[in-house]
Amino acid sequence: MMPFLDIRNIKKSYGGTVAVQDVNLTVGRGEFITFLGPSGSGKSTTLYVIAGFLDPTEGDVLLQGKSLLSVPSHKRNIGMVFQRYTLFPHLTVAENVAFPLRVRRMPAVDIQAKVAEMIRLARLEKVQDRLPSQLSGGQQQRVALARALVYNPPVLLMDEPLSALDKKLREEIQFEIKRIHQETGVTILYVTHDQEESLRLSDRIAVFSQGRIDQIGTSTELYQNPATQFVAGFVGNSDFLSCRIDRVDGHHAQIVLPNGAVVGGVRSHGSVKAGAAGTLMLRPERVRIRACTGEGSDTGMAVTVRDITFLGDNTHFSVETDWKQSMAIRVPFGRTGAEGLAVGGRARIDWVAEDAHVFDSVAQV
Amino acid sequence: MTSVSIVERGGGPPQRRRRRGGGFSYVLPALVLLLIVFVLPVLLLLLRSVTEPELGLQNYRELVESATYGRVFLNTFLVSSVVTAITVLVGFPIAWLLVILPKRWADLLFGIIILSMWTNLLARTYAWMVLLQRTGVINKTLIGLGIIDEPLTLVNNLVGVTIGMTYIMLPFIILPLVTTMRGIEPDLLRAAALCGAGRLDAFRRVLLPLSLPGIAAGGLMTFVMSLGYFVTPSLLGGTSNMMAAELIAQLIQSLLNWGMGGAAAFALLVLTLALYALQLRLFRRTQAGRA
Repeated sequence: MMPFLDIRNIKKSYGGTVAVQDVNLTVGRGEFITFLGPSGSGKSTTLYVIAGFLDPTEGDVLLQGKSLLSVPSHKRNIGMVFQRYTLFPHLTVAENVAFPLRVRRMPAVDIQAKVAEMIRLARLEKVQDRLPSQLSGGQQQRVALARALVYNPPVLLMDEPLSALDKKLREEIQFEIKRIHQETGVTILYVTHDQEESLRLSDRIAVFSQGRIDQIGTSTELYQNPATQFVAGFVGNSDFLSCRIDRVDGHHAQIVLPNGAVVGGVRSHGSVKAGAAGTLMLRPERVRIRACTGEGSDTGMAVTVRDITFLGDNTHFSVETDWKQSMAIRVPFGRTGAEGLAVGGRARIDWVAEDAHVFDSVAQV
Repeated sequence: MTSVSIVERGGGPPQRRRRRGGGFSYVLPALVLLLIVFVLPVLLLLLRSVTEPELGLQNYRELVESATYGRVFLNTFLVSSVVTAITVLVGFPIAWLLVILPKRWADLLFGIIILSMWTNLLARTYAWMVLLQRTGVINKTLIGLGIIDEPLTLVNNLVGVTIGMTYIMLPFIILPLVTTMRGIEPDLLRAAALCGAGRLDAFRRVLLPLSLPGIAAGGLMTFVMSLGYFVTPSLLGGTSNMMAAELIAQLIQSLLNWGMGGAAAFALLVLTLALYALQLRLFRRTQAGRA
């Protein structure tokens, strides 16, 4: 089946510096995909290539099988919401929303009807005759959203649209965006550096790092099965421990920790090779911690407790390994075993083999 | 209701109102200077215009009734309007270029414009005389290219005045325009493009309306300066088509007719102020209509 939007092997370089490379992504109709990554990771560059503001050095962008590259921005029929408010300051809210239809020379009656519909969808009835300067940041972004959707674009691009808003407002607008996505069924590509935002909004997440896509997948896939150490660190919280890879057996490996402990059955990712240095990754809530009883039944790894913070639904333990690497461990409220732990005291930690991941240290930044 | 009040406090323009009278003492020296060197002489001139050669409005009557004076004023307004129109047309793209060029090139272009402003006015005007004369570079080139057979009369008439003044006034429209255009968010034009606006629509519906304050400010400055300009019209213009400043100078310097000269000067001042007020009002109304 032909993908709705097909981003093929995009590369963009300026002189000698490569902004993005090997960016491949197929998007289904109506999908909500976030581009997640730190600033400078190439996510905005990719979006700008799709918008037509940048010509890629290599690669192609196909919408319903047709290449977009030779189509100028104003004929691509793509909607976009920018990071900063880019409403036309001399036009009212309603005139801003009407703008795309006016330049399409649509009959006035149709414009009026369509604008009224969008104003209703974005809940802007009360402010439709105001100028952008008279609106709050959240309202401005809702106008921008209405303006970008009024001409029924097949694809809506959003470039960190909420980064200028405060947290509460951001969550409110996220909810609005999700609602509008469900009501219109538009395909959305959404750039953000906020992992929580991408987890909350999107069907699939493309994690960008250093100009490449490290992994594309649903939030659960990324969390449970991160392809690289970068993804593991960027999506959710993680503990990283340095280690040496002892033996690789298919998708599993046996590793040696700096204290000499041998851990088997660890899931391996990337080009993990026996004998090389690696990084062990654990999720803080998958690690079990209990006090050292001093009796013979002690298994697992001994650590020193450095800090304990009770956070209501869970308790956060900050511990240190014997080779001075710190780890975070989260224990949900009500789980037993961690009683009697005190700051400065010794504890033992362990985990289920399947919850441990190992990455090669070479790709580490 | 709460949300509405928050909105209204939102991003509106900063409040202009200040405590009244508080800063008055600071402007006093400038005010006194202006009173002595500007307001007083103008009033004296006004006084002479209604007292010489005798008490009455005969000077103003002559100004209104005489076809010669009427034509001088007509010339003045015509040339000023044309100069303003051309400077806006030529200055707009230059100003935009200054805004969008990479900094290195923009600085270079800016330097050229500023340097031309700093060059002596007489030197620049004489340079135009050389360029525009019958055997000048422009005529020779045009004849050489076979575009014309006879040299064009480009100097000693209003054409020469218009060309020379347009050149001199250009920076005065470019500088305020650049200031206005720098305030335009660059992503606005990208947004316009994605909204489906081609170059023409983006220009007509976004860039032009947002540049209007700069056009208005620069245009008014150019127009008002052109109305009273003396050096360039007297050097590049002919004797048959005078402009107001030349007329006033001649009335006072050659004919020693202070009464008539004063009347002409005062009439020019009043007309200028009237135009300024009208422009201000029109501009305010368009601004208010938007708000």
